[in-house]
Amino acid sequence: MESLGATTLEAITLLLSGDEELWDIIGISFQISTTAILIAIVPAILIGFALAYAEFPGRRLLISFFNTLLAVPAVVVGLTLYILLSRQGPLGEWKLLFTQTSMVLGQIALSFPILVAMSHSAFQSAEIRAWDTARTLGSNPLSSFLIIMREVRFGLFSALLAGYGRIIAEVGASMMLGGNILNYTRNIPTAIALETSKGEFAQGIALGIILVSMAFLLTMTLQYLQGRGALVHE
Amino acid sequence: MSDIKFIGVEKTYGRKKQLKRILDDIDITLTRGECILLTGKNGCGKSTLLRILSGMLKPDEATVITGLQSSNWKKSRKLLRNQVMYLYQEPYMFDGTVYRNLSYAISGVDAKQKINQVLEWADLKHRENTEAKCLSGGEKQRVALAQAWLKQPDVLLLDEPTANMDDTSRKSTEALLKKFKDTGTALLIASHDINHFSHIMDKRFALIDGELNDVTNISESSQNNHDDQMNSVKKYANNISLFPQNTQKK
Repeated sequence: MESLGATTLEAITLLLSGDEELWDIIGISFQISTTAILIAIVPAILIGFALAYAEFPGRRLLISFFNTLLAVPAVVVGLTLYILLSRQGPLGEWKLLFTQTSMVLGQIALSFPILVAMSHSAFQSAEIRAWDTARTLGSNPLSSFLIIMREVRFGLFSALLAGYGRIIAEVGASMMLGGNILNYTRNIPTAIALETSKGEFAQGIALGIILVSMAFLLTMTLQYLQGRGALVHE
Repeated sequence: MSDIKFIGVEKTYGRKKQLKRILDDIDITLTRGECILLTGKNGCGKSTLLRILSGMLKPDEATVITGLQSSNWKKSRKLLRNQVMYLYQEPYMFDGTVYRNLSYAISGVDAKQKINQVLEWADLKHRENTEAKCLSGGEKQRVALAQAWLKQPDVLLLDEPTANMDDTSRKSTEALLKKFKDTGTALLIASHDINHFSHIMDKRFALIDGELNDVTNISESSQNNHDDQMNSVKKYANNISLFPQNTQKK
């Protein structure tokens, strides 16, 4: 194995050279994860809101259910969907296994509990007075919901980042559901796992740099937005 | 607007074996241009009653009469939401400036003009671009009253509107309340400060053991004695089981 410095330099060169295979993997990764998070975010926020503000039977049970799902390993989610989507499985006729769609489904399943749990906590942080005030000012339920969303926007944005962070770097479910097919279902984490097993560290490090850079960028964005939203102290 | 009359308002808290009837068969009429002061000890149910009257909290029982129409609370909830406005002891301010908070109370083409007018009305022009969450208690109350002025409700319910305020803020809040009364808004103020509202008050009700008593013509000191006597009689009655406990009434 070459020295870490030399491998890192090779990885940076690979990135800067615009290596088609490498950037294809990065593109697929972001495309799948972004699709998954965009599909999951709206229902997750609505459920988080309902858990925080609506009184209905089984509410506490549902909160416990989503909190439990937070601890389920990605590989178990992958295995469950694999069984459902495999040829002999109940959804085998859909022929989704080893496609980008199955990877999107896996990532939705992984991000959904995080999005629900964190948006629930964000909505809980807004007092009931906020909802009552919006309603008493004459806003209809939808407008009041949007006003409350604005109140807890940083919490919701954190939920989005946490959910995205989990699925973009997740390897277990992607490997089982996507099959790691080059130019189709090979994403950043599955490529890193493959290249490392082959002893090709440069491409793995290059993809790792992308993941770390993305995490840094997202965190900086959140900090910037929170800074803008901070209270002005007199 | 016609009067809004509430008949038989009842509310119970707690679970089966520890039920506490906080409001017991209360009747109250909110009349245009009339100010009612609601007194009572902490935890006696003043805020609960106000929240029920504003359509925010579901009572166990209540009938609402407006004009010639009579319906249960649930069916009248939308009407209450539209016509009745409830202000918290410390009003909630949304993220953003005073101007933005006021903008939530009004829409339409002339919204900007009306907001500018109300900023003057509530003496908040100099605070227009201040973060509303950073205001003092008195200023937050003025913002809430300015929102109410923009919304123009028929009934305004206020929960301890001058609690923990200095003299200047209190006087300014009272002056704004007087303006509401003069324009025909019905006011119901829950407060311990009987003297502060004496100049705008038309009636005074005391909430004692879940029951509403008209104490308009009783002085504050006499009322305290009256309350103590009532409590003693009720305790004695409960002890010798002449009357069932409130919790067993129904």
